[in-house]
Amino acid sequence: MIKFHPKDEMLKQHANGQLHLGLATAVSAHCELCSVCRDKLKQYTAAQAEQHLGEQSNDDIQTENVATLGNLSIANIDFSDMLKQITQLAPVEATESQRTIVEVKGTQYALPRALTNQVNHNWSGFGKISRMRLNADENNSRASLLHIDADGEIPEHSHTGREITLLLEGNFEDEFSQYVPGDFIELDANHQHSPKTINGCLCYTVVDAPLHFTKGISKILNPIGELIY
Amino acid sequence: MQNIQSQSHQSRYDKAYVRQNKQTMDDSKSTQLLTELKEQLVKVANQRDKQAYAELFSYFAPKILNFGNQKLSSQGLAMDLVQETMTTVWTKAHLFDADKGSVTTWVFTIMRNRCFDMLRKVQHNKEDTFGDDIWPVFESPQAEEQEDHILTAKMLKHVDALPPLQRQVVKGIYLQELSQQELSTKLSVPLGTIKSRLRLGLVKLRSILEKHYD
Ligand SMILES: [Zn+2]
Repeated sequence: MIKFHPKDEMLKQHANGQLHLGLATAVSAHCELCSVCRDKLKQYTAAQAEQHLGEQSNDDIQTENVATLGNLSIANIDFSDMLKQITQLAPVEATESQRTIVEVKGTQYALPRALTNQVNHNWSGFGKISRMRLNADENNSRASLLHIDADGEIPEHSHTGREITLLLEGNFEDEFSQYVPGDFIELDANHQHSPKTINGCLCYTVVDAPLHFTKGISKILNPIGELIY
Repeated sequence: MQNIQSQSHQSRYDKAYVRQNKQTMDDSKSTQLLTELKEQLVKVANQRDKQAYAELFSYFAPKILNFGNQKLSSQGLAMDLVQETMTTVWTKAHLFDADKGSVTTWVFTIMRNRCFDMLRKVQHNKEDTFGDDIWPVFESPQAEEQEDHILTAKMLKHVDALPPLQRQVVKGIYLQELSQQELSTKLSVPLGTIKSRLRLGLVKLRSILEKHYD
């Protein structure tokens, strides 16, 4: 059973489109796997819709816009042109999007929908760890698919910023808990952990700042931080 | 430009005030509005009714413009957001499903998704569009996704144990990577049949797996 969920505040921001690409992808993928958060997201989205597009929304601003446009003398002309242009268009059919499958170390994984068009990159690897770094919008944020083979682990490390790990397939555990697919694990700079997996796993990770290895010989692995995340 | 921005800042404070008043809003009036919007959208969907569309347009366009001004801080981009959102409302009206939510939620979702991609383009110079992947609008993935999700290479080994018609669809989709629509055309069977064969196949696969891995 999924035990770790995004905070309500994050779900609200997601409903309003305020999270950056990496986080929005993580929350979306979690909601695909978690009916509890899916239902919450639905409610938050309906509330946002009411706020922005409901009957009483922005009535004051509405007149202001018309006035602004009126001053520019484009209100009627522009909108009627737009209306005419749009209503000449033919209906468009829904596209059936197929599941995107990635293959790593000989195993194929069907990915959450949010990742459909984001995974056209190569895997790079080091031992039991394989990573596909994805495009992230924010300069100091990194998003990756991270695959760890059976009996693999990531050396103990801490982050200078927030790290979010969404477990997609398989299981892993760290000092805090054991995790199942769908678990949305958020760690901040105050936490160190060293995830291990017995049967192997695939995760989606977002870190807001690069990570640092903290323990003994692992310190010399710091360059791997770059590789992993 | 500066003017518009400072106005919309001002407006944000006003809106908080308006929202408080909204709590006392008459519910039946609100329900009536939603019913009207839905009727208009159905007319657009079924009859390509331009009058009904014009009414939807005059209701939503100023609100979308306002949302766009706040988020994109540009009147030009806000107008683009109106155009793109309202174009989708016209061209995809038939895909609206009242069981999944209100018309306002549907339009909000379309608008929010477009705005997300436009904002990424403005702020990060990204041309790619991910909004509709992150917040699916035009398909209802959930039912199938749960089943799809457990499909990994392990499962593919068991595909051959499926009845032939289900096997054909499951293999077409997961091994040949055809879309459901492409399979429907290729096999000359309706899309609905493809969907139900796929669903049956996946349910069956799951039960096979449960036996093998329990
Ligand atoms: Zn959840």
